[in-house]
Amino acid sequence: MTKSTFSLSNSLGLLALLLIMIALPFAIALFDGQSPAAVLGSETGSAKFIQGLLIEVFILAIYALSYDLVLGVTGLLSFGHAMFFAVGAYWTGIAFKSLGWGVGVTLLALVAAAVVQALLFGVVLARVKGITFALVTLGLASVFHIIIQATEFSTYTGADVGLQGVVVPEWIDTVDQRFRFYVIALLATFGFYLLYRRFVDSPTGRVCVAIRENEERALALGYNTFYFKLIALLLASITAAFAGFLHTVHQPIVSPNVASLGFTVAALLMILIGGVGTLSGAILGAAVFRLLEYYLERWFGPSASFLLGLIYIGLVFFLPYGIIGTWHISGFRLKGVTWLLERGRSQN
Amino acid sequence: MTFDRLKKNRTRLITLAILTVLFVTASRGMPADDWALTVLRGLSVGMITFLVAAGLSLIFGLMDVLNLAHGELFMIGAYVGWTVYVRPDTVVDLLTPICLVAVGLALLPLLEPTVDRWQKQLTGRLPQVWPWLTMTLGAGGVVWLFGRYPLSIWHPEEFSQSPGTFALAVDQGTLQVVPAESTGLIVVLGFLLAGFVLAAGIAGWRRLGTAPLSHSGLPRGAVMAGVLLLLVAAVCWLANDSLSNWLLNMNTTGRFFLAMGAATGAGVLLGGFVETTLIRPLYDRPIYQLMLTLGLSFIGIELVRAVWGRPEFTMPKAALFNGRGDGCPAESFADLLANQCATMSLFGARIRTYNEIFIIVVGLVVLIAVWILLQRTRLGMIIRAGVQDSEMVEALGINVRRVFTQVFALGVGLAALGGVLAAPSIGLSNDMGTRLLLLALIALAIGGLTSFPGAAAGAILVGLLQQFMIKYGQIGIPLPFLAEPFKPSPPLVPASAVLLMVVILLVLPQGLFGRNE
Repeated sequence: MTKSTFSLSNSLGLLALLLIMIALPFAIALFDGQSPAAVLGSETGSAKFIQGLLIEVFILAIYALSYDLVLGVTGLLSFGHAMFFAVGAYWTGIAFKSLGWGVGVTLLALVAAAVVQALLFGVVLARVKGITFALVTLGLASVFHIIIQATEFSTYTGADVGLQGVVVPEWIDTVDQRFRFYVIALLATFGFYLLYRRFVDSPTGRVCVAIRENEERALALGYNTFYFKLIALLLASITAAFAGFLHTVHQPIVSPNVASLGFTVAALLMILIGGVGTLSGAILGAAVFRLLEYYLERWFGPSASFLLGLIYIGLVFFLPYGIIGTWHISGFRLKGVTWLLERGRSQN
Repeated sequence: MTFDRLKKNRTRLITLAILTVLFVTASRGMPADDWALTVLRGLSVGMITFLVAAGLSLIFGLMDVLNLAHGELFMIGAYVGWTVYVRPDTVVDLLTPICLVAVGLALLPLLEPTVDRWQKQLTGRLPQVWPWLTMTLGAGGVVWLFGRYPLSIWHPEEFSQSPGTFALAVDQGTLQVVPAESTGLIVVLGFLLAGFVLAAGIAGWRRLGTAPLSHSGLPRGAVMAGVLLLLVAAVCWLANDSLSNWLLNMNTTGRFFLAMGAATGAGVLLGGFVETTLIRPLYDRPIYQLMLTLGLSFIGIELVRAVWGRPEFTMPKAALFNGRGDGCPAESFADLLANQCATMSLFGARIRTYNEIFIIVVGLVVLIAVWILLQRTRLGMIIRAGVQDSEMVEALGINVRRVFTQVFALGVGLAALGGVLAAPSIGLSNDMGTRLLLLALIALAIGGLTSFPGAAAGAILVGLLQQFMIKYGQIGIPLPFLAEPFKPSPPLVPASAVLLMVVILLVLPQGLFGRNE
């Protein structure tokens, strides 16, 4: 894959998509009979509601992107990824509510916290690999999940009811400044996507891909693979923590569920739906995941989960490598997918 | 030589020694009766965990499939066992349509050559389209007929008809059921026909692939299975009332053992079905197996919610474990058997026969049986070889795919047995599977992912640790520098198991019994 991702046509396509996404709330407002000014004024209506739903999609997309970097690009199976997100979400809530910090300081401290937890995972990374790494990270995340539910810290974390009553600075308040926050989340998603594209094309990113393909060979070529895996974890941790930050700003209540195994599995589902290791698939997968969940729940009520299960099984059989991955295969390129086949063979 | 081996396993031995010291220290901190109770409870929880972890470990070792639906299969085992135990008449009613539809599916190999010959004469897009249409028609027919099939069943929404009420009635011996109306011959034949239509559609769909017909001549096994299913369906249809009454008037002990057998059997069939239809196409795509099994677990939970409802309910204990008359609590095992006591005295503690003795006994029997299967039979030899290198086994001319199906069925059967065994002690709820899956995963990781003795040891370790934590949560641990004894709070119970796993894996990445890389 020597072709640069920043070719003219690609950039134009992305720019067009960005503009369409910015114009979307206005279009919905017009369609709904509101004036476009209502979007800027955050008036109640379906435009505001759809923006809220899309903000959730963007947050999940950033989170899924970070998981795709760990699993899809570097080939590390981690079951503790939800902790990265939850640390961001909880830290933001505690900084705003209990410490009364501003956005800038909070974000700086957030990066520090993200680095620390990535280093914690790095300690594990140096010792175990494969499915054992997945289980140890699951263990670390479970311990974190239990700690935030413990009654001892309920003044900070709110124990098992979740963190409530976070007062968000006015200029990014999602109730009064919905459109502004929508654009911020949208730009963040695009920014992280471009950053990740650039990272995968950079020499460091190429080594990460090499580790995914064959770690022994990368070692034999003289790369200290541990540092490259750690870099991927660091970047993913900071990204996921930022997604957690956006989550807390957007949602008034942070539930302890964001640290559970279920939330890691959600990230796994998103990138599997979109296509493992494709990056754009992570964003698409997050959109499909959240919108399916929401609309199935709305149309079918309690039996939505059953249909969701059926859809997942159907996807596995009819889109064998995710939406983007299968599209690449049935198109003419086989990138990012051959490793799955290789992996299947080498594991048997 | 011995010294070398000791040196090689140094870390492992030190870890085992530390665990033993911890166990002894924890034991000395409590009175003898508490200790006996805690250890037996730990073993009991450990045995249930083991039944789930054993299947997970075999499946993961042989096929590299981490079956995330295993906990839900455990749950389904519990619910199926409950149904056989509390409402056997419903099971008899259900057997007729299920067996009739299955006749068509069992005769699939017989249909395939005919369908193949017929399909080759079709032109245009018809060969691609008709299997889907026929399958939809068959499945729709089954659903439509089922809506018209008279069935005597519980209703979760009505309190007087809810599963919990029926369970209570069985416990008090006051169970009254209204038998369903008898079924007309037309409906019965309709089910048979719908089954054949469905099977024809599946046969046509299978012929769309490039695989050649697998066999020629009369498939004797398929015909036998078909005739047998037909026989069962006919008996259940014609002798519905007398069969139901016989089961309902049966001794609860006998019915409980029947329920254990039925749940295990249902698990084996379900496991075989899931492996052949869903898991098999995915051996080349390991990560997508996670998505598939996850989807399956969602479906499993929703199915259970739809059929048995959301509220938790109990499964009454069989008469053998529920005696409260003279001579109870029993003083010795002979007394226990003679009086069928619910409890017995051991080391001055009151021990519940079912929870703390029967579960452990059954767990041990299964442990030894599977151990013999693995170590002393040809199939076991193939499985052990396959865990090391399944490609090599295949190259030696052994049909590994068939062994995969057998092992998957066995693993799911064990999980289902665990479910029905656990149901009288922990009750039935929608999330019992999810909770147990996490425990089983931890046990698996502690013991070494693919090692069978490791799964057993890990499960027992996890069970003991949790029960000791619960006990010390009540009596407190006297720690130096602390005036009050430290009492672990309830959330620390699961956390302790997780922490144990993290520590053991960091010290011994391959687990306690895993092979050195």
